[in-house]
Amino acid sequence: MSSSRSFSIKSLLARHETVLVLVILFEVILFQVLGRNFLTGRNFSNVFRHSVEIGLLAVAMTPVILTGGIDLSVGSMMGLCAVLFGMMVNSLGMNPWLAGISAVAFGAMGGGVNALLITRLNLPPLIVTLGTFSLFRGLAEAITKGAESYSGFSPSFLALGNSNIAGLPAQIWVFFIVAAGIWFLVHRTTFGRSFRAIGYASEGARYAGIPVARNTSLAYIIAGAVAGLAAVILVARLGEARANAGIGYELLAITAVVLGGVSIFGGSGTVVGTILGWIALAILNNGLTRISDYKIMDQTVASVARELSGLLTGLLLLTALTIGASTKTLAVRHARKQSLAKPTSNPATS
Amino acid sequence: MNKYFRELTVAAALGLLMLGLAILAPHFFQFQPFISRLTSQMPALVAAIGIALIIISRQIDISIGSQFSMCAIIAGVTAASGLPLGVAIFAALGAGAMMGALNGVLVAYLGLPSIVVTLATMVTWQEALRLWQQGRLLNLPKGIQWFGLSQPAGQTIVISLAFILLIGAAWAMKNLAAGRFIYATGTDAEAARLAGIDPKRTTFGVFVLMGILAGLAAVFNLVQSPQVQPNCGDGLELKTIAAAVVGGVAISGGRGTLWGVLLGMLLLANVNPALTHFHQPPYWEKAIQGLVILLAVVADGIRSRKARL
Repeated sequence: MSSSRSFSIKSLLARHETVLVLVILFEVILFQVLGRNFLTGRNFSNVFRHSVEIGLLAVAMTPVILTGGIDLSVGSMMGLCAVLFGMMVNSLGMNPWLAGISAVAFGAMGGGVNALLITRLNLPPLIVTLGTFSLFRGLAEAITKGAESYSGFSPSFLALGNSNIAGLPAQIWVFFIVAAGIWFLVHRTTFGRSFRAIGYASEGARYAGIPVARNTSLAYIIAGAVAGLAAVILVARLGEARANAGIGYELLAITAVVLGGVSIFGGSGTVVGTILGWIALAILNNGLTRISDYKIMDQTVASVARELSGLLTGLLLLTALTIGASTKTLAVRHARKQSLAKPTSNPATS
Repeated sequence: MNKYFRELTVAAALGLLMLGLAILAPHFFQFQPFISRLTSQMPALVAAIGIALIIISRQIDISIGSQFSMCAIIAGVTAASGLPLGVAIFAALGAGAMMGALNGVLVAYLGLPSIVVTLATMVTWQEALRLWQQGRLLNLPKGIQWFGLSQPAGQTIVISLAFILLIGAAWAMKNLAAGRFIYATGTDAEAARLAGIDPKRTTFGVFVLMGILAGLAAVFNLVQSPQVQPNCGDGLELKTIAAAVVGGVAISGGRGTLWGVLLGMLLLANVNPALTHFHQPPYWEKAIQGLVILLAVVADGIRSRKARL
């Protein structure tokens, strides 16, 4: 049963990723035809320099969603880590690289709080991370008294956000390393395979001898740590650490993951899909700012690019969800026809 | 353990907070400011009734802030174009119902998880509104503020309507078949279906009702000031979900009362004024709210663990 099903899911995913590549190609051609200076090396560097934080969050969110969970707190975590980082460098005079590592550690600790509440007390991830969403942002605001910000970082640190290494933005290399690490974990280790098993049927995974609580915890801890890293990169790019860093980023990250074909119910999806989903979003965001010859509601597209790309992102997500739900229904029907067990059935009730 | 343990705990916490304020900061209870503060909480209370029904039916709706803003602007634009207030109110409720129906179709009939559906509609409405209004403040014509009446009369209307709605909804949840359908669907949709309830229709209905209540909440907000902002609903989803969770509505569905929601709402709404009156910096508000939510869910988790043992 498992071999035939995993084969059909695999071919389905392959199709999803092909579709995404086509969407990205379509975007590139569209913006090149309609926009100005879109396909230039400089602009392409910009596309990725300005969205690498969301890419990091999306990649780290993938294991969480694979386990059937969700983490709404990563954006707030970025705010808290950014503020802690700024405080460590400015008030304590810490070396920025050491402070950066500490910020990542704080992020991991915050993720640990989520993990503890979710796995040990068996609380729903949605509401736990909604609570920490408010808590982390609130702590960041309390530390900065709602208004203060930290700046004046050393040029060697700011280079992380604003310079190029081997022709690519410096932070892209960080993204490559993190993405490769998470890809390896999810797709090439037994540990990572357990994420999908847990998301598919956590009770079944437990019966199969997988330490569900421990492995799920790791997914949230990684998400927290990567949020800390994203905060450091954001501070390096902007040259300023504020409590409002990363507001709304959790939504963009989740959108990238879902667009990438990861099932929001958990259990199936790939890191490559997430990365493609993120690239599609990043290009949409940037491309619209390049269209100054066309108007929408008496404004040039470029001047309302932010709102327009937000709107299109929402619609894109709704479309992707609807298509995903329809294919899932079809897959379930197909599975029933072959007189297999209902995939969502709970072992406790059967 | 007492069935209303959570409601009583929250009531005790609220009582303690009020007692502390009465002793340490008696000017908190000056009549006019107190009534004004209470009135300003009524839109959130109306929205919280809707969110409580959503959570009891085992769903979530994080798009209500966007729905609220959208309804407020639609009502404002309708009123500004010279149409009477009644038409503006009708437009707000209708827009809310339609936005709720979209969520409802996707969640109930396509079986999509409500968190992601409402995340998508939240972003969609919010950005559509930004594109439409460009963040402009919308000035309202005369005769909208306080329904064209005096301020005390307007406040009385808003407060009494909100409480009538709360009492009516609480009664319906306990005594009407539709209310019991919501509890049944949230407890176990499959069991509800076998008992002859249509869980899909119930879920769809709850989302439509949520939209209508978001529209009504927007109207209650609209009449309180001479202008309306396109971002007036920001953060409403978090505020109302927090009120419901603190008030003992179980996020796993099927359990909770609207009285608990009222208490949770009042407790959380008084965090900020209490901080001010105790001369504490207000920027701790969000952190305290987050902590209260976590405390409430942890208490739930520990209780259900004990119940299982």
